[in-house]
Amino acid sequence: MKTYAYLHYINCVLPQQKRMSARVRGCAYTVIDGLNVFLRVLVASFLWFCSSDYVAADSHLLPDDVQIHGFLTQGVFHSSNNNVYGHSDDSVSPGLTEIGLNADYQPWRNLRFAAQGLYRRAGDVDKGTVWLDYALADLTLYEYDSGKIGLRGGRIKMPFGLYNETRDVAFTHPTILLPQGIYFDRSRSLMIASDGGAFYAEHRTEFGDFAFKFNVGLPRNDLDEIRSVVLASRHTQGSFQAEPIIATQLSYELNGGEFVFAVSYMDTEFDFIPAGSDKLRKSETRIQPLLFSAQYNGEKFTLTGEYEYRWNTFGNFAQYGGGKFITESWYIEGSYRILENVQATVRYDTLDMDISDRGGDGAIALGYPRHTAYAKDWMVGLRWDITPSWMLKADYHHVHGTAWLPQADNPVPDKTLQDWELYGLQLSFKF
Amino acid sequence: MGLQIAKLRHVKRAFSNTLVIFFIVAAFSSVVTATEVVVNKSVPSAKYSVGDIRAIFIMQKRVWPDNRQIKVYALPDSDPLHKEFVKSNLHMLPHQIRRIWDRMTYSGTGSAPIELDSEQEMIDKIANTPDSIGYLSITPNNENIRVFTLH
Repeated sequence: MKTYAYLHYINCVLPQQKRMSARVRGCAYTVIDGLNVFLRVLVASFLWFCSSDYVAADSHLLPDDVQIHGFLTQGVFHSSNNNVYGHSDDSVSPGLTEIGLNADYQPWRNLRFAAQGLYRRAGDVDKGTVWLDYALADLTLYEYDSGKIGLRGGRIKMPFGLYNETRDVAFTHPTILLPQGIYFDRSRSLMIASDGGAFYAEHRTEFGDFAFKFNVGLPRNDLDEIRSVVLASRHTQGSFQAEPIIATQLSYELNGGEFVFAVSYMDTEFDFIPAGSDKLRKSETRIQPLLFSAQYNGEKFTLTGEYEYRWNTFGNFAQYGGGKFITESWYIEGSYRILENVQATVRYDTLDMDISDRGGDGAIALGYPRHTAYAKDWMVGLRWDITPSWMLKADYHHVHGTAWLPQADNPVPDKTLQDWELYGLQLSFKF
Repeated sequence: MGLQIAKLRHVKRAFSNTLVIFFIVAAFSSVVTATEVVVNKSVPSAKYSVGDIRAIFIMQKRVWPDNRQIKVYALPDSDPLHKEFVKSNLHMLPHQIRRIWDRMTYSGTGSAPIELDSEQEMIDKIANTPDSIGYLSITPNNENIRVFTLH
């Protein structure tokens, strides 16, 4: 029961954006807003420039060892109850905008640089931010006839499951919403990328290709969110400090990706550091997800499944005391190519916040609706690749439960409903 | 009357003949009969396998035996020659290789082949770029381009 308070904040409330105090917000946001507008204009004009006739897809103006790519996505949503990406309940929210622009430069055989800027607006969870998605140097240490090993340093995307590294790139998955039980939109800021280093190894054999990644680094430091939300009292002076996250993945691909298998594991930890006047204690919170992934990519048919088992250990910084519980989520998804460029998808996705309390008794005891403890989502989707650069997707979801519903879009849990439907339409462009 | 029927038959026959010719032409123009993997003449001759070609085009194998970096060129996904090349030479499906390229391109873990607009551009690039590899529907009569032979 006690764990529930923590469980709720970590999954629902913690990644809400920027709940700074009004004073700090005043100064900081003026600067950030100015910067955001500037970067947005910069990104938009660059995208226009790159997609126009001045520069063809890979740019004839640039040397071959520099490549520029980008993408742009706009989604609209409507829901029967509850809000997703803004006010979608009995309305239409134009809530999900994503623009990315990246450059890749290989000055030498064994050294490569890559960076990507991203603009994202997602309902009330993320009201529009521009940031550096990744920026890294990639050094190949040793390359042999059937593989290589190397190091990456800088801001690096975290490998987790089939989609985490490209979760913002609509073209890399068949539906608008990724399975939310595993790819929580609300916790993306913690697992999207980290500043640090990574070791990687690839080995090709006649019976498949193996790849291993081991990343260590500090996650995107949204300490203000964590501090204001995690602590019961906003008057607390202490802060949360993320420890370096470990993200590792072993994958095996057979026949050029016809079959894909992967095991991913993450170890995330953050500490509460009390200030002098605080009554709360210094303590640690730890989240360790283990994820198994499998995919078959046939000519017409694609079958995908992922299973996550997540250990949560919450510190006793607050008056409630600490707690441990296990979260479980899995999905199974089938896609069929009706035409070469039209793909239909059906998926069942399920999430239980605490496997020892699947019914949500703990949520009730804490004054939350029972259905915040679980979510079962049946969805059908259609993806139409109009050209290699343009794509249109449509999603329909029937959801039982609200465990992954963004609290920023639904500030009063009691007003959320257990059974709800979601419709989405998304247009994407890439080059 | 009889004359009219004969005329009609004639028109019908002419129409069906045209149709047959149209279908034959359509069939031949939509099917690319062969795809040649080609390299710049600077690429060292060695014992390459089918697995090597695939590893090169999915950007895993990055250097030639002389340790020089491989420059990989490709045509757009919608190009019939590209589709034919992926199926016959790589023994993969176009959407499988696109999945691999997009994952690298948008996650910073690698770079996809450089995409060219046409086969003519491919000929020019391969002829003028040392260490380059690509594919064509015909063997070009160009002293700087060599067919990539497998052993």
